[in-house]
Amino acid sequence: MKLDKKTASDEIPTSSMADIAFLLIVYFMLTATFAATRGLDFALPKDDENPPIIEKEDSVLIEIQPSGELVVDQKSMRLDEIFDYLEPKLENNPKKPVIIRPQPAAPYGEMVRVFDLLRTIKIQREGEAVKVVTVTMSDLQKAADDTSIDLGKDINISIPTQREIDAFWF
Amino acid sequence: MRLKARHKAGAIIPTASMADIAFLLIVFFMLTITFEKDKTQVALPRTELRFEIPKEVAYIALTNDGLIRSTDGESMSATVPPDDVISFASNVVSKYPGRPIVLKADKDVPYEKVDKILDSLKQARVELIYLLSEQVTVDK
Repeated sequence: MKLDKKTASDEIPTSSMADIAFLLIVYFMLTATFAATRGLDFALPKDDENPPIIEKEDSVLIEIQPSGELVVDQKSMRLDEIFDYLEPKLENNPKKPVIIRPQPAAPYGEMVRVFDLLRTIKIQREGEAVKVVTVTMSDLQKAADDTSIDLGKDINISIPTQREIDAFWF
Repeated sequence: MRLKARHKAGAIIPTASMADIAFLLIVFFMLTITFEKDKTQVALPRTELRFEIPKEVAYIALTNDGLIRSTDGESMSATVPPDDVISFASNVVSKYPGRPIVLKADKDVPYEKVDKILDSLKQARVELIYLLSEQVTVDK
């Protein structure tokens, strides 16, 4: 009688490797949450014992009403009108403080919109002349790619808290 | 003349490199994945300017109904009462000096709630905060 000898294969079975790997990929893809990882930076002033007193007349006051309406220096204004209003004032005095003062019931999103708009204002100095412009798309692109670019810190924006207003204002 | 039988191609798809590709993808996902420390769902405000937030940050999330959740960036976020935000921020400042705090607040939340948090952060001497936002879209 003839016996059939079975020889064991000398290959490592790797056919299921891809299946396992793809299962792991699916797991990582499902558990990965595409987190929002960008935002507006906001440097808080150092808690100064003697903060500089800013007279209301020296600054531009942007108030945000509960309805979202903007009142700039007692005048009702749309968001896109603020730049034209600020331009001559900042050309006269680039260090002019701009104060954002939202009403307690005003939506937070409106404050961020105003803050964002002010941050996109750029001051260019050509010799003695001061030019107020808004940042371009390419500036935004560059700043998004390069964290060392300090964009939007040209104008003096202040957002006092209610406690500071109660303590130091008037 | 008898023609020689043609050499037939095997009907097998070569899948040996499939695992290599798949493992490369896995390595990519493992390196890029960031486990979110805070999963609070909020409708973020939209801004044109958006800067990359560093990886090691503390979070304070504020929902539309005024619920505050916070994390120092090391553990998952937990609810904190509004009056405890200052002690949370002081802890972060003393344990991790220079660590920014990210404010993840809902765009419709009344500003007074944000104001209280900002005031607590100022009192705790936090130097830098980020206002988390989404990219502004063209459909205005």
